[in-house]
Amino acid sequence: MSSTPASSQKNIVGISKNGTLDYTKLEKLLGPLVLQKEDHVNAPAFVIRPDSVEEALTLLRDEAGFDHLSCVTAQEYEDRFESIYHLRKYDSPQHELGIVVPSPKNNPWNQSACSVFRTADWHEREAYDLVGINYEGHPDLRRILLPDTWQGHPLSLDYDQNKPQLITLQEHENPLRDTDEENTMFINIGPHHPATHGVLHLKTVLDGEHVVSVDPDIGYLHRCEEQMAQGLNYRYQIMPYPDRWDYASAGLLNEWAYARAAEDLVNIEVPEYAEIIRTMGAELCRICAHFLAVGTFALDIYGDFTAIFMYAMRDREIVQSILEDLTGQRMMFNYFRLGGVVWDLPEPRDEFLSKIQKFLDKIPAGIQEYSELMTTNEIFQLRCVGTGILPPDVARQYGVTGPVARGSGIDYDLRRDDPYGYYENLDWNVVTNDGCDIYSRFLVRLGEVEQSAKIIGQCISLLESWPEEDRIIQANVPRTIKPPADAEIYRAVEAAKGELGIYIRSDGTQQPARFKIRSPCFSNLSTLSEMATGGLVPDLIAALGSLDIVLGEVDR
Amino acid sequence: MTTDPRLNSKLREAFGSSPFILTKFDSFMDWVRGSSLFLLQFGIACCSIEMMHTFAVKHDLDRFGAGVPRASPRQADLIIVPGTIVSKFAPRMRRVYDQMPEPKFVVGMGSCTISGGPFHKGYNVVKGVEEILPVDIHVPGCPPRPEALVYGIVKLQERIINGQRSPVTVDPYELEKFGDLDTHELIEQLADQIAENDLVMRYNWSDSP
Amino acid sequence: MITLPLTTQTPLVDAISHLLGLDGSFGLILSAFIAAFLIGNIMLISAGIAGPWAKRKITAVFTDRIAVNRLGPLGLLIIVADAVRLLAKELIVPEGVDRPSWDIAPLILPFSALLGFAVIPMGGPLQLADPETGLVFVFAVASIASVGVVIGGYSSNNKFSMLGGLRAVAMNIAYEIPLIVTAASVVLFAGSLRLSEIVSAQAAPLIVIAGVTIPSWFAFVNPFAFVLFLIANLAEIGRNPFDIPEAPTELVAGYVTEYSSVYFVLFFLGEFLHVFLGGAIIATLFLGGPAAPISSLSFIPGFIWFLLKIWSVFLFTQWMRAAIPRVRIDQMIEIGWKGLLALSFINLILTAILVGVIA
Repeated sequence: MSSTPASSQKNIVGISKNGTLDYTKLEKLLGPLVLQKEDHVNAPAFVIRPDSVEEALTLLRDEAGFDHLSCVTAQEYEDRFESIYHLRKYDSPQHELGIVVPSPKNNPWNQSACSVFRTADWHEREAYDLVGINYEGHPDLRRILLPDTWQGHPLSLDYDQNKPQLITLQEHENPLRDTDEENTMFINIGPHHPATHGVLHLKTVLDGEHVVSVDPDIGYLHRCEEQMAQGLNYRYQIMPYPDRWDYASAGLLNEWAYARAAEDLVNIEVPEYAEIIRTMGAELCRICAHFLAVGTFALDIYGDFTAIFMYAMRDREIVQSILEDLTGQRMMFNYFRLGGVVWDLPEPRDEFLSKIQKFLDKIPAGIQEYSELMTTNEIFQLRCVGTGILPPDVARQYGVTGPVARGSGIDYDLRRDDPYGYYENLDWNVVTNDGCDIYSRFLVRLGEVEQSAKIIGQCISLLESWPEEDRIIQANVPRTIKPPADAEIYRAVEAAKGELGIYIRSDGTQQPARFKIRSPCFSNLSTLSEMATGGLVPDLIAALGSLDIVLGEVDR
Repeated sequence: MTTDPRLNSKLREAFGSSPFILTKFDSFMDWVRGSSLFLLQFGIACCSIEMMHTFAVKHDLDRFGAGVPRASPRQADLIIVPGTIVSKFAPRMRRVYDQMPEPKFVVGMGSCTISGGPFHKGYNVVKGVEEILPVDIHVPGCPPRPEALVYGIVKLQERIINGQRSPVTVDPYELEKFGDLDTHELIEQLADQIAENDLVMRYNWSDSP
Repeated sequence: MITLPLTTQTPLVDAISHLLGLDGSFGLILSAFIAAFLIGNIMLISAGIAGPWAKRKITAVFTDRIAVNRLGPLGLLIIVADAVRLLAKELIVPEGVDRPSWDIAPLILPFSALLGFAVIPMGGPLQLADPETGLVFVFAVASIASVGVVIGGYSSNNKFSMLGGLRAVAMNIAYEIPLIVTAASVVLFAGSLRLSEIVSAQAAPLIVIAGVTIPSWFAFVNPFAFVLFLIANLAEIGRNPFDIPEAPTELVAGYVTEYSSVYFVLFFLGEFLHVFLGGAIIATLFLGGPAAPISSLSFIPGFIWFLLKIWSVFLFTQWMRAAIPRVRIDQMIEIGWKGLLALSFINLILTAILVGVIA
């Protein structure tokens, strides 16, 4: 199965003269496959039959250039099941299209998209696990987040949470044994292991020290974030939860993902001043998250709580104290509100802004220090250059985004390509690197810290000179928010790890009927076996470190 | 400390009611165990980030002699449980705890380890680590600040030095052999998936407090 | 049959028997025991200070922290607390371990290191035995340690331990040869395998710069060999960048993964003793043993200088640990066989030519 990068194609169907998507042409391309056209808030969607998924997606990928399957959402209605394939283009992310696949209530099934997009593998397994739709032709349809012995599908309508469950722990499942047939060794790396950055389980088969195959087993931190959000109201209650998805201090970036989706759903305009504060806070969070990535990567490569880890923690401590001044909390900020932010910058403003400025002034020296300690070190380069290779076409197949994609030379950054916040008006660059290896991912992260600092610097000068009477931090938002029934939206922002998307379907009440989180780490992690197979165990660990996953976001 | 008045043998009358050397030795051992703790290097969720900060430059947990992380549970005395326990992880968590040598101590970090915290309504969430492990100290917060964790660990050290032990509670969720379970609808359903000798842990969301 | 006239001098034993007036074979054995006890304890105390306390403090300095400071002056009492607590912990014997070998493995490590100290000249009479083949003896007993590591690795019935043990074998074979070949170049200079003679060969002044006499320590005479030896020694004692048998974050704790309590202490102790034994070999071969660097400082006893030297080697290993990444297993083998081995032979040949020309 080979993907064709859209950039190499000259004749992409479905683009009108002014560069926007022409949905009638797309409809014509799919022809009789389209049963109906639905209007979602973000983009129109085509309804197709469950047995034509492969055909439709192949057409759209090869002819219309939709090479990015960002998310698969499954949900149950009163009368049917539904899978939605959210398609995008890596080259122009504003070109969006939904493919809606309804399936019957008594026998929910539809054709799998695995043969078209490899990222569909994990997404469909999750949909099967939580909602209970069977994907025909899926190579390996088993539970992904919940234990294998789980009964029922928790996000389906008739699930009874009070039923008892049984979880197994197979003891001595794979003992050391001397067998003639195979010369490999099965080894469990995790769920408790110092290199897994949390509770990840890698089922690894080794031949000596070489990795024959690796199968990430996730779900050890599946905290039912989607169920939580579906039981809470839009206006106030959901906002604290995004902080806990990507908990590596990327809270504001996650909050923005929810805020953006919900604001677009009910048409709230955010005041410009609040957008600047949001942008500044979000970039501070990105710096904080990237420092953690640097520190824990050093932990993986250097092997102990060494100087670099501690330096990264020291620098994070400064950012956290700035964010604490701004939001009142070190990690779980709960600072955004629909239509703005909860309060203005802390007083005295000058002191606060100069504190940030002081931090920004230290960043170049800090980056220099990290470069001297890590990127210019011979052994570090030996370990990182040319290992954990992820070619761009494979990355596209897996729906990889964020620094991992940019480290593979894919120029994809939603802050620039699908503008939100105040990014359009600021001067900054998207950092990419063509190395496709661990080293280039690391360089991208360091480069992004510099770019974020640049953005924050511009935000500070804007905030300093902002007239006092225009400091509107909050738009007029009704006390209760009830979006129109059956409004659907998929919106994404560029979080620390990549495209963090939220799908919301409303049912006319104060609570979302379906709340689906498209987590960048989830897609990024699924490439691990591509990167690590054939390498050595240390390469596996380094590759995992370079993906910079946060299990809270992988498992949600 | 008062001794039972019935302990009145001739030997005790001669040497005093509680042998000096032995009590001194006991309190020395308590001091030893409280003064130095190896931690299990172990992260679960959000709290583990703050736990790392507790080890690191500014807060430096090692000042109190409790800052050496060991990756293997065999060499750890203290396990800080930094985050939400979910059903799939619960048996593994229990197994890691069982692998630690006695005497061992548990600090529950964050609201999730107290009650499930913000996620206690989740279909998959264990409502508090005390369902699985006996906990010595709970540190509340979501997540607790590093200062709070330092305070919690220092309190634990004080408790150990003063010879106070938490009673080991009987846990609702234990690891059991599948064959030993009472027959139940669920057990019958799973009979062909699980071998008799496999260890299993029950999980019942509604029965938990 | 040819018998070589091997003679072993025993300076410390002689000194003790002379001091206490112990005569005869029984007296000799008793004073040998006393001497061995003395030397053993000096090294055990060093390792005891290094393991729980100095290592933490040094790491803390590298990472801008303070580390233990609540227990006693500078937190020194942590040594007591750590040692007693670890010894008093539950000893877990996992299911399926290969029992006798699982118990023997932790003993081998400290045993082999302590044996090595027997022939190291530590200044004055502080040398337990001074055989003619002292250098060979040191390397022979030091490399027994890898046997312990391998046994511990495979008998633990743990896959991480086994991988750690396998790595230790690969590493020791790859680095023992360059280590010994480099040491051989020193022997060419000194003309003897006897360690006391190697030390005395370094006593002569090399050059005088601005009134300061630089002694002809082999580190100055042949800095190339010194650097080679330092690197190979890092691998021999399994410290960064060659800490791959233990490799936390890859193999959990490598070959010690399943060991708790007393056995863990023995492994821990053995590792630190090996670091110091490595330091002692370096000090003896390259840094003039117990000699003072400049003659005006020679009023300080040689033993102090010796301790200073081995502690600075320990400091060097800790510095490496804090700042240098770990190499991958295949890269490490490559560096060993392709790099260090070739360089050490080149060094040996060049030294042989040089020594031959001078002679």
